Amino acid sequence: MFLINYFSSLNPLAFTNALPGNIAQGLIWGIMALGVYITFRLLDFADLTVDGSFATGGAVTVMMTVKGYNIWVALLCACIAGLLAGLCTGLLHTKLGIPPILAGILTQIALYSINLNIMDRHANQALSVDKYSLILSSRNLTSAIVIGLLFAAVLIIVLYWYFGTEQGSAIRATGCNPAMSRAQGINIDNMKLIGLSISNAIVALSGGLLAQYSGFADVNMGRGGIVIGLAAVIIGEVLGDAILGKRMDFKGRLIFVVIGGIIYYIVIGIVLWLKMPSDDLKLFTAIIVAIFLAVPYLKGKSKSSFAKAGKRAAAMLAGRSATAYGDVDAKNKEEK
Amino acid sequence: MLEIRNVHKTFNLGTINEKHALNGVNLKLDEGDFVTVIGGNGAGKSTMLNAVAGTWPVDDGAILIDGVDVTGLPEFKRASFLGRVFQDPMTGTTATMQIDENLALAARRGQKRGLRWGITKAEKEHFHELLKELDLGLEDRMTSKVGLLSGGQRQAVTLLMASLQKPKVLLLDEHTAALDPKTASKVLALTDKIITENHLTAMMVTHNMRDAIAHGNRLIMMNNGKVILNISGEEKKRLTVEDLLLKFEEVSGEEFASDKALLG
Amino acid sequence: MKKATKFASVVLAAALTLSLAGCGSSDAGTNSTQSSGNTSGKTYTIGICQLVQHEALDAATQGFKDALTDKLGDNVKFDEQNAAGDASTCSTICTTFATNNYDLILGNATAALQAATAATDTIPVLGTSITDYATALDVSDWTGTTGKNISGTTDLAPLDQQAKCIAELFPDAKNVGILYCSSEPNSIYQSTTITKYLKDEGYTVKEYTFSDSNDVASVTQSACDNSDVIYIPTDNTAASCTEAINNVASPAKVPIFAGEEGIAKGCGVATLSISYYDLGYTTGEMAYDILVNGKDISTMEVQSAPKFTKEYIADRADALGITIPDGYEELKAD
Repeated sequence: MFLINYFSSLNPLAFTNALPGNIAQGLIWGIMALGVYITFRLLDFADLTVDGSFATGGAVTVMMTVKGYNIWVALLCACIAGLLAGLCTGLLHTKLGIPPILAGILTQIALYSINLNIMDRHANQALSVDKYSLILSSRNLTSAIVIGLLFAAVLIIVLYWYFGTEQGSAIRATGCNPAMSRAQGINIDNMKLIGLSISNAIVALSGGLLAQYSGFADVNMGRGGIVIGLAAVIIGEVLGDAILGKRMDFKGRLIFVVIGGIIYYIVIGIVLWLKMPSDDLKLFTAIIVAIFLAVPYLKGKSKSSFAKAGKRAAAMLAGRSATAYGDVDAKNKEEK
Repeated sequence: MLEIRNVHKTFNLGTINEKHALNGVNLKLDEGDFVTVIGGNGAGKSTMLNAVAGTWPVDDGAILIDGVDVTGLPEFKRASFLGRVFQDPMTGTTATMQIDENLALAARRGQKRGLRWGITKAEKEHFHELLKELDLGLEDRMTSKVGLLSGGQRQAVTLLMASLQKPKVLLLDEHTAALDPKTASKVLALTDKIITENHLTAMMVTHNMRDAIAHGNRLIMMNNGKVILNISGEEKKRLTVEDLLLKFEEVSGEEFASDKALLG
Repeated sequence: MKKATKFASVVLAAALTLSLAGCGSSDAGTNSTQSSGNTSGKTYTIGICQLVQHEALDAATQGFKDALTDKLGDNVKFDEQNAAGDASTCSTICTTFATNNYDLILGNATAALQAATAATDTIPVLGTSITDYATALDVSDWTGTTGKNISGTTDLAPLDQQAKCIAELFPDAKNVGILYCSSEPNSIYQSTTITKYLKDEGYTVKEYTFSDSNDVASVTQSACDNSDVIYIPTDNTAASCTEAINNVASPAKVPIFAGEEGIAKGCGVATLSISYYDLGYTTGEMAYDILVNGKDISTMEVQSAPKFTKEYIADRADALGITIPDGYEELKAD
């Protein structure tokens, strides 16, 4: 009975109706994920600053707009604030030798207080689309999607260009092989500072867009943002590799990161549409990200000769007497 | 070209693992010198190279490259004087970047990296020619990720990278040790070719005495963080492995304890 | 082989999505909407967005639904969603309500109301459990109505009456400390307003603020050291830390007057309380007026709870030796 009631309560139309909103919000988070991609994939730096800098972006955008500044000026200042946040994490790491994760957490915690101060010690500040001319709002979803797409497209083009330049290439090299980078005369500390700054500027930009979209900034709006960003990056990569395979290049990766954000929010839409308990949403997100992060590792492990040799040894031990040990050792040596 | 003056380095000072890795190393290389460096495990061969490269600051002494005192310069700043190839083929190249991108990075060693495009068309053509000379078929795979190459191919690319901007000194740190014998000899031949063609000053650490004798115009032997033997010119040409073993015992008072060096 | 891997990863992604769905379906019955009946008249669909699972908010949602079901019977359907405390999810929920073109949206708590007002300017939006509409909607010249598609109910008990209660309970006290979380605009508003009234009653007033639940104990300690009575407004952070506050205040023998029942139960001696169920019910009646009676929401004033009750906690009052005047009802402590 429950099931019949349950399924009859689900309205397929309601799901399709929810799509535009999910896409718009997914685009905004996809832009945020571009920032996460820069640190997590290119710089190999798990940067937890983003939870704080996302809210900073929202706070600066809302407060400046409310104080009468043009929305574009406000958004630009939000980017600069995010840039400074990233720079702060970078300095903690490169100049003071604090490990990446800890450096990010420290800045994130500091930003909580800073964000409250930016918002005149309010945890939440409204930004009404009726009072201010905003760039986008959930009021008009079509335009929100178009503008979200424009922002994403421009960012992807700029990032594609930048990471193709001498400096951008140096940042990529730093993330992949710091020893080689130093040997090639790259100041890897500076590259980390630049990468973190760009990343957090983008994250703050996305925070500023989301604040306009939802009509308020909240000091907690970035909480768990790193996980959403990672989810978008990873979903995008898995999907992109599945669809494009070998043709997946840097451009493709950036595009699929944004698509990953959209898919993430469509899944959220499905979860809400199914009336699942939203209290468990974060748990599901964490599980999805953990699984997708684990897949490449487990794949690699099952292919490694250790695993194979181990299996063979186990099979031999089961089949024969203990004298088979010598045999196994010989085989292992061959393998090497 | 390179001068190492009384350099000292101690690791883990004050702990149970304290090690005096360099104990007053003195060495002078003239322009065009190709020195091979041998010695037992822990003799300080790689440590000396790292001291020159600036991986960490030295405790005492001075290092001069082409008359410039670089003792206080960090690793990335010294890089403009140095070309380096490492023991681990993974270290010298960036796996997730293309072959041509790696070369382009190396071509800008010691230069300011700005917002110009990371690789020019002219460079691509130049790299194509250079890769063709390696005769490994890499010229047709310029946009492949370096991570897909074999260890030998990666060392070849690294050698090429080290010589793109002519270095004052080329540092080769057991760069064939991780390769199979056949690939190793190919890479060594390539090393000789690059050094000769570009008239480079080079220092090559090796475990293999035969290689040490066969290559270069000078040979030094290290023990306990010191240079204990310095052979050059005609004397080096007449050297045999047996000579070296005898000399080692003579100078150090102990037996040369490396099977690998004997067998190699 | 390559193809198989590709296929497998797509299947994996699909399976994950489905397994998510599977997890939820087991308890979906509790959340499912009321099925529509076939009695005469139009059927209304109402979206309810609640910020977080919370006793008071749950009661308000229930009151709202009961009011409309009492009046409309089967002719009203509710799409009830909870954002699990995530402000960003409120946006997801409310834009969906708007694109579904529901007849009315209820925003339960500040972020839910803000998300709803951002999502639509045509669908009527009612708020509940909101203390201060002027701050929540960023209106500088508040007149009681919004002039837009927004109205609702406030959970604020009149602060002048609260100040009077404090005066009649603690006539000999001199110093009143106000304890709240500095990042909650609602609390800041209440604190500044009641400070005025308390000063009129002849008290010296000082604010003690904490920035999150971690500093509650130490800030409470300093408040206790310097005050004869402590006042706590309807502060969400304080409401979630009443145990910590009580652990400090009760050995210090400093009585606490609370702005709402929940805090009073946890650590207070007395309160002037509203019932969130009644508040929700009032909101439901407003919804009925809008939907059926065609009232213009833009001219409807934000309403307070229908009645206030003076309440006290007998155990704590006894322990502190406070005489409770007539007109107070006993409230059981947690």
